[in-house]
Amino acid sequence: MTSELTVGTGAGLDTADMVLNIGPQHPSTHGVLRLKLVLDGERVLSAEPIIGYMHRGAEKLFEVRDYRQIIMLANRHDWLSAFCNELGVVLAVERLMGIEVPDRAVWLRTALAELNRVLNHLMFLGSYPLEIGAITPVFYAFRERETIQAVLEEASGGRMHYMYNRVGGLKEEVPAGWTTRARTAIDQVRRRMPDLDNLIRRNEIFLARTVGVGVLSAADAAAYGASGPVARASGLDFDLRRDEPYLAYGALDVPVVTRTTGDCHARFEVLLDQVYASLDLAQTCLDEVDKLTGPVNVRLPKVVKAPEGHTYAWTENPLGINGYYLVSHGEKTPWRLKLRTASYSNVQALSKLLPGTLVPDLIAILGSMFFVVGDVDK
Amino acid sequence: MELPGKGLVKGLAVTLGTLTQRTGTQQYPDVEPDLPPRTRGVIALIEENCTVCMLCARECPDWCIYIDSHKEEVVVPGAARARQRNVLDRFAIDFSLCMYCGICIEVCPFDALHWTPEFEYAEHDIRDLLHEKDRLEEWVATVPAPPAHDHRGEPAKEQTAAAKRSGQSAV
Repeated sequence: MTSELTVGTGAGLDTADMVLNIGPQHPSTHGVLRLKLVLDGERVLSAEPIIGYMHRGAEKLFEVRDYRQIIMLANRHDWLSAFCNELGVVLAVERLMGIEVPDRAVWLRTALAELNRVLNHLMFLGSYPLEIGAITPVFYAFRERETIQAVLEEASGGRMHYMYNRVGGLKEEVPAGWTTRARTAIDQVRRRMPDLDNLIRRNEIFLARTVGVGVLSAADAAAYGASGPVARASGLDFDLRRDEPYLAYGALDVPVVTRTTGDCHARFEVLLDQVYASLDLAQTCLDEVDKLTGPVNVRLPKVVKAPEGHTYAWTENPLGINGYYLVSHGEKTPWRLKLRTASYSNVQALSKLLPGTLVPDLIAILGSMFFVVGDVDK
Repeated sequence: MELPGKGLVKGLAVTLGTLTQRTGTQQYPDVEPDLPPRTRGVIALIEENCTVCMLCARECPDWCIYIDSHKEEVVVPGAARARQRNVLDRFAIDFSLCMYCGICIEVCPFDALHWTPEFEYAEHDIRDLLHEKDRLEEWVATVPAPPAHDHRGEPAKEQTAAAKRSGQSAV
């Protein structure tokens, strides 16, 4: 008589693929991004970013808010670059209304946009090492952030949601002596940046986790519509500040930081080097502001109505290209305000980047895509 | 080829350098932070200035301002007809909804609303974040004077208006 013995359960030695959900609540996803992974052991077979957990219907809300209220809504989709988000809206409305913004406002806006870029980058320069196990850099990054936030708070009253742009310029003039204090803050941050740089850029452990990991080719970056530091790290030499200047960038020599390797370390380095570049740009703008006199905004009609028509304003936000497609039917609210955000496109590239990597590398790659979930889901 | 461990040593040198520096810790609950006058902490209401025009409640992007009022007749001696006046019954701001954009303060034509940098009004119950008229008036004492504008720019419109009224030029 023969007996059959089953060892284990299922199909003997065959292994089943495991479906693993990372998120929506996971510390390394900065918010509520969900990744649906199919794993074979430690290796990722396929990855699908599932988005929408933080969808707040911003575009629909834009249709029932006037242009001043829209600025308030728009600065919140990417909460790390509020000033730059506001800019896109006001640039679109100003173009449609044919408003000429005073020079002083243009230069102030450029300076503040660059300071906001520094703030955004410092956040990721601190949080990215944190995600892959280095706790120290975040303290140095936040020390510098605090210095610059104080400058922005003095001018606008806000630390994150500045609400300082208005159609036709800025909300109000900066306080007396602000440009000097801003310059001091910039000098201070520039002097202390080597601390952060020395801590992490060439750290062997950091290099081991990031060099050669998550390589995004230039062709893939372009195909997924990636932009900003993520695309420039892959060698896509594209920066709207230089290639289609808005604000005062046309009069500035904008250094575009690029890398060619396209790995996690290259993306991190682009961010780090952009901080230095942006600090210099902000300084130049402040010098220019001090040479200009006059108003920082224009007198607006009681009810601001954009004339019938449509326009597309895009700006180089800290995380990439941010675009507002404004369609107006001549009312005080837009008929449609379509939002193109950098994070949304950058996150899509994950489905290409992740398959074939190991789970520990996945966290390194995810963190290096530099996205804000609010900016993905809108 | 870099020396192995050079990156780590450089990082440790930064730590050592920081160790010898003074700490920058702010002793918050013991020492109040020094906030700039424009800081958007909480909104103060000067009731006497409010004419119940409802502009703030209408312009608020998320309608977190509640206003109730009634009309009162004021008999002016010598006038043919009694005049009507709005009396404010309720003015409340729900800070659990407020998005701190400052539009209400910007649109107020009679300067009844002001920002103040006060921020210590966290509550255990979200319903307590609804500040009624009396609570909003308590904040008035903390409203700072606005900072002077950069001399290269234009003076504040209040300054220009005041100068015009007194027949002097601004600044």
